[in-house]
Amino acid sequence: MTCPALAARAVSRRFGQEQALLDVDLRVEPGEIVALVGLNGAGKSTLMRLLLGMLHADTGSVEILGRPVRGAGPAVWSRVGHLIETPPRYRELTVRESIYSAARLQALDRSTTERLTAETITLLELDHWRDRRTGALSLGNRQRLGIATAVVHRPDVLVLDEPSNTLDPLGVLRVRGFLRARATEQRTAVLVSSHHLDEVARMADRIMVLHRGRALGELDPAGADVERAFFARVLEADRHRAAVR
Amino acid sequence: MRAAVEFELIKAGRAPVFRWGAASVVLGVPGISVLFFVLARSGRTSPAVAKAMTLLTDMSLAGLVGTAGQVLTVGMLMAAGIAASWSFGREFVDDAVPALFALATSRSSLVGAKFLVLTGWAAATTITTVVVVLLAGLALGLPLTPAALAVALQATAAGLLSAVLAWPLALVASCRRGYLAGFVALILVVVLTQLLTATGAGSWFPYAAPSLWMGMGGAEAAAKVSATQLALAPLVSAAAVAATIAWWGHAEAR
Repeated sequence: MTCPALAARAVSRRFGQEQALLDVDLRVEPGEIVALVGLNGAGKSTLMRLLLGMLHADTGSVEILGRPVRGAGPAVWSRVGHLIETPPRYRELTVRESIYSAARLQALDRSTTERLTAETITLLELDHWRDRRTGALSLGNRQRLGIATAVVHRPDVLVLDEPSNTLDPLGVLRVRGFLRARATEQRTAVLVSSHHLDEVARMADRIMVLHRGRALGELDPAGADVERAFFARVLEADRHRAAVR
Repeated sequence: MRAAVEFELIKAGRAPVFRWGAASVVLGVPGISVLFFVLARSGRTSPAVAKAMTLLTDMSLAGLVGTAGQVLTVGMLMAAGIAASWSFGREFVDDAVPALFALATSRSSLVGAKFLVLTGWAAATTITTVVVVLLAGLALGLPLTPAALAVALQATAAGLLSAVLAWPLALVASCRRGYLAGFVALILVVVLTQLLTATGAGSWFPYAAPSLWMGMGGAEAAAKVSATQLALAPLVSAAAVAATIAWWGHAEAR
Protein backbone atom coordinates (compact mmCIF):
# COMPACT_ATOMS: atom_id res chain seq x y z
CA MET A 1 0.00 0.00 0.00
CA THR A 2 1.46 3.36 -1.04
CA CYS A 3 1.42 6.24 1.38
CA PRO A 4 -0.97 9.08 0.60
CA ALA A 5 0.45 12.29 -0.82
CA LEU A 6 -1.54 14.29 1.71
CA ALA A 7 -3.16 13.05 4.88
CA ALA A 8 -4.92 14.83 7.72
CA ARG A 9 -6.24 12.78 10.62
CA ALA A 10 -8.72 14.19 13.15
CA VAL A 11 -7.31 17.65 12.66
CA SER A 12 -8.70 20.53 14.69
CA ARG A 13 -7.76 24.18 14.81
CA ARG A 14 -9.26 27.08 16.70
CA PHE A 15 -8.70 30.82 16.24
CA GLY A 16 -9.68 32.40 19.55
CA GLN A 17 -13.37 31.55 20.07
CA GLU A 18 -13.76 30.41 16.47
CA GLN A 19 -13.51 26.66 15.83
CA ALA A 20 -12.06 26.81 12.31
CA LEU A 21 -11.71 23.02 11.92
CA LEU A 22 -12.96 20.12 14.03
CA ASP A 23 -11.88 16.50 13.67
CA VAL A 24 -11.34 16.67 9.94
CA ASP A 25 -9.90 13.73 8.00
CA LEU A 26 -8.55 14.01 4.47
CA ARG A 27 -6.54 11.78 2.19
CA VAL A 28 -5.24 12.54 -1.30
CA GLU A 29 -3.54 9.76 -3.22
CA PRO A 30 -0.95 10.18 -6.00
CA GLY A 31 -2.67 10.73 -9.35
CA GLU A 32 -5.89 11.87 -7.70
CA ILE A 33 -7.66 15.23 -7.81
CA VAL A 34 -9.63 16.00 -4.67
CA ALA A 35 -11.77 19.11 -4.47
CA LEU A 36 -12.69 20.87 -1.25
CA VAL A 37 -15.98 22.67 -1.52
CA GLY A 38 -17.76 24.81 1.01
CA LEU A 39 -19.21 28.22 1.67
CA ASN A 40 -17.03 31.15 2.73
CA GLY A 41 -15.47 30.46 6.12
CA ALA A 42 -16.02 26.71 5.86
CA GLY A 43 -12.37 26.01 6.67
CA LYS A 44 -11.03 25.16 3.21
CA SER A 45 -8.06 27.55 3.34
CA THR A 46 -7.34 26.66 6.96
CA LEU A 47 -7.17 22.96 6.08
CA MET A 48 -4.86 23.68 3.13
CA ARG A 49 -2.58 25.82 5.29
CA LEU A 50 -2.39 23.04 7.88
CA LEU A 51 -1.44 20.55 5.17
CA LEU A 52 1.36 22.88 4.03
CA GLY A 53 2.72 23.60 7.52
CA MET A 54 1.62 27.24 7.38
CA LEU A 55 -0.58 26.71 10.41
CA HIS A 56 -0.14 24.31 13.30
CA ALA A 57 -2.93 21.93 14.25
CA ASP A 58 -4.25 22.10 17.82
CA THR A 59 -4.93 18.36 17.71
CA GLY A 60 -4.63 15.60 15.11
CA SER A 61 -1.86 14.80 12.70
CA VAL A 62 -0.89 16.02 9.24
CA GLU A 63 1.39 14.20 6.82
CA ILE A 64 2.77 15.13 3.44
CA LEU A 65 4.37 12.52 1.19
CA GLY A 66 4.44 10.18 4.17
CA ARG A 67 6.28 12.57 6.50
CA PRO A 68 4.85 14.56 9.43
CA VAL A 69 4.44 18.08 8.08
CA ARG A 70 6.29 19.65 11.04
CA GLY A 71 9.41 17.62 10.28
CA ALA A 72 9.29 17.82 6.49
CA GLY A 73 12.55 19.05 4.98
CA PRO A 74 13.73 20.33 1.60
CA ALA A 75 13.46 16.88 -0.02
CA VAL A 76 9.72 16.85 0.71
CA TRP A 77 8.93 20.50 0.03
CA SER A 78 10.77 20.49 -3.31
CA ARG A 79 8.05 18.05 -4.49
CA VAL A 80 5.21 20.33 -3.42
CA GLY A 81 3.67 23.31 -5.19
CA HIS A 82 1.00 25.60 -3.82
CA LEU A 83 -1.04 28.71 -4.36
CA ILE A 84 -2.89 29.86 -1.27
CA GLU A 85 -5.51 32.59 -1.60
CA THR A 86 -3.49 35.30 -3.35
CA PRO A 87 -1.10 35.08 -6.30
CA PRO A 88 2.49 36.29 -5.78
CA ARG A 89 2.52 39.89 -4.59
CA TYR A 90 5.99 41.14 -5.45
CA ARG A 91 4.67 43.90 -7.67
CA GLU A 92 8.19 45.04 -8.62
CA LEU A 93 9.22 41.71 -10.18
CA THR A 94 8.48 40.80 -13.78
CA VAL A 95 6.50 37.70 -14.72
CA ARG A 96 9.72 35.91 -15.71
CA GLU A 97 11.52 36.91 -12.50
CA SER A 98 8.59 35.74 -10.36
CA ILE A 99 8.49 32.30 -12.00
CA TYR A 100 12.30 32.02 -12.05
CA SER A 101 12.53 32.90 -8.34
CA ALA A 102 9.81 30.42 -7.41
CA ALA A 103 11.73 27.65 -9.19
CA ARG A 104 15.08 28.63 -7.66
CA LEU A 105 13.56 28.57 -4.18
CA GLN A 106 12.57 24.97 -4.89
CA ALA A 107 16.27 24.10 -5.09
CA LEU A 108 16.53 23.80 -8.87
CA ASP A 109 19.85 24.72 -10.47
CA ARG A 110 20.06 27.78 -12.71
CA SER A 111 19.99 26.05 -16.10
CA THR A 112 17.04 23.80 -15.17
CA THR A 113 15.29 26.84 -13.72
CA GLU A 114 15.80 28.82 -16.94
CA ARG A 115 14.43 25.95 -19.04
CA LEU A 116 11.40 25.27 -16.82
CA THR A 117 10.66 28.99 -16.50
CA ALA A 118 10.52 29.35 -20.29
CA GLU A 119 8.38 26.20 -20.63
CA THR A 120 5.98 27.34 -17.90
CA ILE A 121 5.56 30.80 -19.41
CA THR A 122 4.53 29.13 -22.65
CA LEU A 123 2.37 26.54 -20.88
CA LEU A 124 0.37 29.21 -19.04
CA GLU A 125 0.37 31.46 -22.13
CA LEU A 126 2.13 34.31 -20.38
CA ASP A 127 4.63 35.03 -23.20
CA HIS A 128 3.12 38.41 -24.00
CA TRP A 129 3.55 39.56 -20.38
CA ARG A 130 6.90 37.85 -19.78
CA ASP A 131 8.83 41.08 -19.05
CA ARG A 132 5.95 43.01 -17.55
CA ARG A 133 5.94 43.89 -13.84
CA THR A 134 3.54 41.78 -11.79
CA GLY A 135 1.88 44.90 -10.44
CA ALA A 136 0.81 45.89 -13.95
CA LEU A 137 -1.00 42.61 -14.69
CA SER A 138 -4.76 42.11 -14.73
CA LEU A 139 -6.22 39.96 -11.94
CA GLY A 140 -6.68 37.04 -14.31
CA ASN A 141 -3.09 37.16 -15.51
CA ARG A 142 -1.84 37.44 -11.94
CA GLN A 143 -3.81 34.31 -11.14
CA ARG A 144 -2.19 32.51 -14.08
CA LEU A 145 1.18 33.71 -12.82
CA GLY A 146 0.33 32.33 -9.39
CA ILE A 147 -0.44 28.93 -10.92
CA ALA A 148 2.80 29.16 -12.92
CA THR A 149 4.86 29.73 -9.74
CA ALA A 150 3.14 26.73 -8.14
CA VAL A 151 3.81 24.31 -11.00
CA VAL A 152 7.12 25.53 -12.46
CA HIS A 153 9.19 22.87 -10.65
CA ARG A 154 6.79 20.10 -11.73
CA PRO A 155 5.74 19.04 -8.22
CA ASP A 156 4.27 15.68 -7.22
CA VAL A 157 1.77 17.38 -4.92
CA LEU A 158 -0.25 20.48 -5.79
CA VAL A 159 -2.36 22.42 -3.33
CA LEU A 160 -4.32 25.18 -5.04
CA ASP A 161 -6.77 27.43 -3.26
CA GLU A 162 -9.45 28.49 -5.73
CA PRO A 163 -7.16 28.29 -8.77
CA SER A 164 -9.85 29.41 -11.23
CA ASN A 165 -10.53 32.65 -9.35
CA THR A 166 -10.63 35.64 -11.72
CA LEU A 167 -9.78 33.47 -14.76
CA ASP A 168 -11.80 33.89 -17.94
CA PRO A 169 -13.75 30.84 -19.21
CA LEU A 170 -10.88 29.85 -21.50
CA GLY A 171 -8.41 30.15 -18.63
CA VAL A 172 -10.63 27.93 -16.47
CA LEU A 173 -10.72 25.30 -19.21
CA ARG A 174 -6.95 25.40 -19.67
CA VAL A 175 -6.19 25.12 -15.96
CA ARG A 176 -8.65 22.26 -15.64
CA GLY A 177 -7.06 20.48 -18.58
CA PHE A 178 -3.57 21.05 -17.23
CA LEU A 179 -4.40 19.70 -13.76
CA ARG A 180 -6.20 16.68 -15.21
CA ALA A 181 -3.20 15.93 -17.44
CA ARG A 182 -0.75 16.29 -14.51
CA ALA A 183 -2.78 13.90 -12.39
CA THR A 184 -3.26 11.31 -15.12
CA GLU A 185 0.14 11.41 -16.82
CA GLN A 186 2.51 12.36 -13.96
CA ARG A 187 0.47 10.92 -11.06
CA THR A 188 0.48 14.31 -9.38
CA ALA A 189 -1.76 14.51 -6.32
CA VAL A 190 -3.93 17.61 -6.57
CA LEU A 191 -5.99 19.26 -3.86
CA VAL A 192 -8.08 22.20 -5.03
CA SER A 193 -10.70 24.31 -3.33
CA SER A 194 -13.48 26.02 -5.17
CA HIS A 195 -16.91 27.62 -4.92
CA HIS A 196 -17.76 26.50 -8.41
CA LEU A 197 -19.38 23.11 -8.06
CA ASP A 198 -19.85 22.53 -11.79
CA GLU A 199 -16.20 23.16 -12.41
CA VAL A 200 -14.91 20.79 -9.72
CA ALA A 201 -17.42 18.16 -10.79
CA ARG A 202 -15.77 18.16 -14.22
CA MET A 203 -12.26 17.92 -12.84
CA ALA A 204 -12.18 16.10 -9.50
CA ASP A 205 -12.09 12.41 -8.71
CA ARG A 206 -13.59 13.11 -5.30
CA ILE A 207 -15.39 16.10 -3.81
CA MET A 208 -15.21 16.67 -0.08
CA VAL A 209 -17.68 19.03 1.59
CA LEU A 210 -16.56 21.27 4.43
CA HIS A 211 -19.07 23.29 6.42
CA ARG A 212 -18.45 25.37 9.53
CA GLY A 213 -15.11 23.62 10.02
CA ARG A 214 -16.54 20.11 9.83
CA ALA A 215 -16.26 17.53 7.09
CA LEU A 216 -19.71 16.57 5.75
CA GLY A 217 -18.56 13.63 3.67
CA GLU A 218 -18.15 13.40 -0.08
CA LEU A 219 -20.20 14.16 -3.16
CA ASP A 220 -20.20 12.07 -6.31
CA PRO A 221 -18.59 14.15 -9.10
CA ALA A 222 -20.51 12.10 -11.64
CA GLY A 223 -23.81 12.69 -9.83
CA ALA A 224 -26.76 14.23 -11.64
CA ASP A 225 -26.89 17.51 -9.71
CA VAL A 226 -23.83 18.20 -7.59
CA GLU A 227 -25.06 21.65 -6.58
CA ARG A 228 -28.36 20.30 -5.24
CA ALA A 229 -26.52 17.53 -3.38
CA PHE A 230 -24.14 20.07 -1.86
CA PHE A 231 -26.87 22.34 -0.51
CA ALA A 232 -28.87 19.38 0.76
CA ARG A 233 -25.81 18.28 2.74
CA VAL A 234 -25.20 21.77 4.13
CA LEU A 235 -28.85 22.35 5.07
CA GLU A 236 -29.02 19.00 6.80
CA ALA A 237 -25.91 19.88 8.84
CA ASP A 238 -27.39 23.24 9.83
CA ARG A 239 -30.71 21.64 10.84
CA HIS A 240 -28.89 19.05 12.90
CA ARG A 241 -26.81 21.79 14.55
CA ALA A 242 -29.93 23.81 15.39
CA ALA A 243 -31.66 20.75 16.83
CA VAL A 244 -28.68 19.92 19.06
CA ARG A 245 -28.67 23.49 20.42
CA MET B 1 20.98 29.80 0.84
CA ARG B 2 22.37 30.83 -2.56
CA ALA B 3 18.89 30.80 -4.12
CA ALA B 4 17.54 32.83 -1.19
CA VAL B 5 20.28 35.45 -1.61
CA GLU B 6 19.62 35.59 -5.36
CA PHE B 7 15.89 36.09 -4.66
CA GLU B 8 16.54 38.86 -2.14
CA LEU B 9 19.01 40.56 -4.48
CA ILE B 10 16.42 40.65 -7.28
CA LYS B 11 13.87 42.21 -4.90
CA ALA B 12 16.37 44.68 -3.40
CA GLY B 13 17.54 45.73 -6.86
CA ARG B 14 13.99 46.76 -7.71
CA ALA B 15 13.11 48.32 -4.35
CA PRO B 16 13.05 52.13 -4.21
CA VAL B 17 13.65 51.98 -0.44
CA PHE B 18 17.18 50.65 -1.03
CA ARG B 19 17.96 53.04 -3.90
CA TRP B 20 16.60 56.16 -2.20
CA GLY B 21 18.03 55.20 1.18
CA ALA B 22 21.52 54.81 -0.28
CA ALA B 23 21.22 57.98 -2.37
CA SER B 24 20.08 60.02 0.66
CA VAL B 25 23.07 58.89 2.73
CA VAL B 26 25.70 58.97 -0.03
CA LEU B 27 24.70 62.49 -1.13
CA GLY B 28 23.19 63.89 2.07
CA VAL B 29 25.99 63.12 4.54
CA PRO B 30 28.81 64.66 2.44
CA GLY B 31 26.52 67.57 1.55
CA ILE B 32 25.74 68.43 5.17
CA SER B 33 29.36 67.92 6.26
CA VAL B 34 30.77 70.12 3.50
CA LEU B 35 28.15 72.79 4.26
CA PHE B 36 29.16 72.81 7.94
CA PHE B 37 32.84 72.92 6.97
CA VAL B 38 32.38 75.84 4.57
CA LEU B 39 30.29 77.71 7.14
CA ALA B 40 32.90 77.18 9.86
CA ARG B 41 35.72 78.20 7.53
CA SER B 42 33.91 81.39 6.47
CA GLY B 43 34.78 83.07 9.79
CA ARG B 44 31.37 84.70 9.95
CA THR B 45 29.40 84.85 13.17
CA SER B 46 25.92 83.39 13.10
CA PRO B 47 23.99 80.65 14.97
CA ALA B 48 24.57 78.30 12.00
CA VAL B 49 28.31 78.87 12.10
CA ALA B 50 28.35 78.40 15.88
CA LYS B 51 26.55 75.04 15.46
CA ALA B 52 28.96 74.00 12.71
CA MET B 53 31.92 74.82 14.96
CA THR B 54 30.61 72.46 17.67
CA LEU B 55 30.69 69.53 15.21
CA LEU B 56 34.09 70.27 13.67
CA THR B 57 37.12 69.32 15.70
CA ASP B 58 39.55 71.08 13.35
CA MET B 59 39.61 72.63 9.88
CA SER B 60 41.46 69.75 8.23
CA LEU B 61 40.32 66.79 6.13
CA ALA B 62 40.32 64.75 9.35
CA GLY B 63 37.94 67.31 10.85
CA LEU B 64 35.63 67.16 7.80
CA VAL B 65 35.58 63.35 7.81
CA GLY B 66 35.01 63.32 11.58
CA THR B 67 31.97 65.57 11.15
CA ALA B 68 30.70 63.39 8.33
CA GLY B 69 31.17 60.34 10.60
CA GLN B 70 28.87 61.89 13.20
CA VAL B 71 26.17 62.60 10.61
CA LEU B 72 26.73 59.16 9.06
CA THR B 73 25.94 57.33 12.33
CA VAL B 74 22.50 58.96 12.45
CA GLY B 75 21.95 58.65 8.70
CA MET B 76 22.81 54.95 8.54
CA LEU B 77 20.62 54.10 11.54
CA MET B 78 17.69 55.85 9.88
CA ALA B 79 18.28 54.44 6.37
CA ALA B 80 19.02 50.89 7.57
CA GLY B 81 16.09 51.03 10.00
CA ILE B 82 13.68 51.95 7.22
CA ALA B 83 15.19 49.34 4.86
CA ALA B 84 15.07 46.53 7.46
CA SER B 85 11.52 47.36 8.56
CA TRP B 86 10.34 47.48 4.96
CA SER B 87 12.20 44.34 3.87
CA PHE B 88 10.52 42.20 6.53
CA GLY B 89 7.25 44.09 6.96
CA ARG B 90 6.39 44.15 3.26
CA GLU B 91 6.07 40.36 3.21
CA PHE B 92 3.00 40.75 5.45
CA VAL B 93 1.65 43.97 3.95
CA ASP B 94 1.87 42.52 0.41
CA ASP B 95 0.36 39.15 1.47
CA ALA B 96 3.51 37.38 0.31
CA VAL B 97 4.07 35.30 3.45
CA PRO B 98 2.25 32.08 2.35
CA ALA B 99 4.58 31.90 -0.66
CA LEU B 100 7.56 31.72 1.71
CA PHE B 101 6.26 28.51 3.32
CA ALA B 102 6.42 24.91 2.06
CA LEU B 103 9.57 25.55 0.01
CA ALA B 104 12.80 23.61 -0.40
CA THR B 105 14.51 26.80 0.76
CA SER B 106 13.96 27.11 4.48
CA ARG B 107 12.61 30.24 6.11
CA SER B 108 15.81 30.53 8.14
CA SER B 109 17.71 30.75 4.83
CA LEU B 110 15.27 33.34 3.51
CA VAL B 111 15.63 35.45 6.67
CA GLY B 112 19.41 34.99 6.70
CA ALA B 113 19.52 36.12 3.06
CA LYS B 114 17.55 39.24 3.91
CA PHE B 115 20.07 40.17 6.61
CA LEU B 116 22.98 39.36 4.30
CA VAL B 117 21.64 41.63 1.57
CA LEU B 118 20.80 44.36 4.08
CA THR B 119 24.32 44.18 5.54
CA GLY B 120 25.95 44.24 2.10
CA TRP B 121 23.83 47.23 1.10
CA ALA B 122 24.69 49.02 4.38
CA ALA B 123 28.42 48.33 3.92
CA ALA B 124 28.39 49.56 0.31
CA THR B 125 26.47 52.69 1.30
CA THR B 126 28.77 53.46 4.24
CA ILE B 127 32.00 52.93 2.31
CA THR B 128 30.77 54.94 -0.70
CA THR B 129 29.73 57.80 1.60
CA VAL B 130 33.12 57.98 3.29
CA VAL B 131 34.89 57.89 -0.10
CA VAL B 132 32.65 60.73 -1.36
CA VAL B 133 33.48 62.78 1.76
CA LEU B 134 37.22 62.22 1.19
CA LEU B 135 36.88 63.27 -2.46
CA ALA B 136 34.86 66.34 -1.44
CA GLY B 137 37.60 67.27 1.02
CA LEU B 138 40.27 66.92 -1.66
CA ALA B 139 38.13 69.09 -3.95
CA LEU B 140 38.08 71.72 -1.20
CA GLY B 141 41.88 71.69 -1.30
CA LEU B 142 42.41 69.82 1.97
CA PRO B 143 45.52 67.59 1.98
CA LEU B 144 45.14 63.85 2.47
CA THR B 145 46.90 62.92 5.70
CA PRO B 146 47.32 59.69 7.70
CA ALA B 147 45.10 61.27 10.38
CA ALA B 148 42.34 61.83 7.80
CA LEU B 149 42.59 58.20 6.65
CA ALA B 150 42.44 56.98 10.27
CA VAL B 151 39.27 59.03 10.88
CA ALA B 152 37.85 57.73 7.59
CA LEU B 153 38.30 54.16 8.84
CA GLN B 154 36.74 55.09 12.18
CA ALA B 155 33.78 56.72 10.40
CA THR B 156 33.29 53.60 8.25
CA ALA B 157 33.28 51.40 11.36
CA ALA B 158 30.90 53.74 13.20
CA GLY B 159 28.56 53.89 10.19
CA LEU B 160 28.47 50.09 9.96
CA LEU B 161 27.88 49.71 13.70
CA SER B 162 24.94 52.11 13.46
CA ALA B 163 23.53 50.25 10.46
CA VAL B 164 23.59 46.80 12.07
CA LEU B 165 21.94 48.27 15.15
CA ALA B 166 18.84 48.64 12.96
CA TRP B 167 18.43 44.87 12.60
CA PRO B 168 16.25 44.54 15.74
CA LEU B 169 13.67 46.56 13.80
CA ALA B 170 13.36 43.56 11.46
CA LEU B 171 12.15 41.55 14.47
CA VAL B 172 9.69 44.30 15.41
CA ALA B 173 8.33 44.44 11.83
CA SER B 174 8.04 40.62 11.78
CA CYS B 175 6.32 40.26 15.15
CA ARG B 176 3.89 43.10 14.38
CA ARG B 177 3.43 41.81 10.82
CA GLY B 178 4.04 45.10 9.02
CA TYR B 179 6.65 47.81 8.44
CA LEU B 180 4.82 50.62 10.27
CA ALA B 181 5.71 49.11 13.66
CA GLY B 182 9.36 49.09 12.59
CA PHE B 183 9.18 52.75 11.61
CA VAL B 184 7.62 53.67 14.97
CA ALA B 185 10.29 51.70 16.83
CA LEU B 186 12.98 53.51 14.80
CA ILE B 187 11.62 56.91 15.83
CA LEU B 188 11.52 55.81 19.47
CA VAL B 189 15.13 54.58 19.28
CA VAL B 190 16.33 57.87 17.75
CA VAL B 191 14.50 59.95 20.40
CA LEU B 192 15.79 57.76 23.24
CA THR B 193 19.33 57.97 21.87
CA GLN B 194 19.16 61.76 21.78
CA LEU B 195 17.85 61.89 25.34
CA LEU B 196 20.50 59.54 26.72
CA THR B 197 23.28 61.29 24.80
CA ALA B 198 22.14 64.68 26.11
CA THR B 199 22.14 63.42 29.70
CA GLY B 200 25.64 62.01 29.30
CA ALA B 201 24.53 58.42 29.94
CA GLY B 202 24.82 57.31 26.34
CA SER B 203 28.04 55.39 25.99
CA TRP B 204 26.56 52.20 27.49
CA PHE B 205 23.50 52.57 25.27
CA PRO B 206 24.49 50.74 22.06
CA TYR B 207 22.58 53.14 19.79
CA ALA B 208 24.47 56.17 21.19
CA ALA B 209 27.98 54.69 21.43
CA PRO B 210 28.96 54.99 17.70
CA SER B 211 27.91 58.67 17.54
CA LEU B 212 29.70 59.49 20.80
CA TRP B 213 32.78 57.65 19.55
CA MET B 214 32.76 59.90 16.45
CA GLY B 215 32.71 62.97 18.70
CA MET B 216 29.04 63.94 18.86
CA GLY B 217 29.38 64.53 22.60
CA GLY B 218 32.74 66.27 22.26
CA ALA B 219 36.33 65.04 22.21
CA GLU B 220 36.36 64.16 25.91
CA ALA B 221 33.24 61.96 25.65
CA ALA B 222 34.63 60.33 22.49
CA ALA B 223 37.84 59.34 24.27
CA LYS B 224 35.84 57.67 27.05
CA VAL B 225 33.94 55.31 24.71
CA SER B 226 35.44 51.87 25.27
CA ALA B 227 35.80 48.89 22.93
CA THR B 228 33.40 46.96 25.16
CA GLN B 229 30.75 49.63 24.73
CA LEU B 230 31.20 49.58 20.95
CA ALA B 231 31.12 45.77 20.94
CA LEU B 232 27.57 45.89 22.29
CA ALA B 233 26.37 46.96 18.83
CA PRO B 234 27.30 43.73 16.98
CA LEU B 235 26.08 41.72 19.98
CA VAL B 236 22.66 43.41 19.86
CA SER B 237 22.60 42.93 16.10
CA ALA B 238 23.53 39.23 16.27
CA ALA B 239 20.92 38.61 18.95
CA ALA B 240 18.30 40.32 16.77
CA VAL B 241 19.25 38.18 13.74
CA ALA B 242 19.02 34.99 15.82
CA ALA B 243 15.68 36.03 17.34
CA THR B 244 14.24 36.97 13.93
CA ILE B 245 15.29 33.63 12.42
CA ALA B 246 13.73 31.81 15.41
CA TRP B 247 10.52 33.85 15.10
CA TRP B 248 10.12 33.03 11.41
CA GLY B 249 10.85 29.37 12.16
CA HIS B 250 7.83 29.16 14.46
CA ALA B 251 5.56 31.73 12.83
CA GLU B 252 2.32 30.85 11.10
CA ALA B 253 1.10 32.16 7.75
CA ARG B 254 -2.36 33.23 8.88
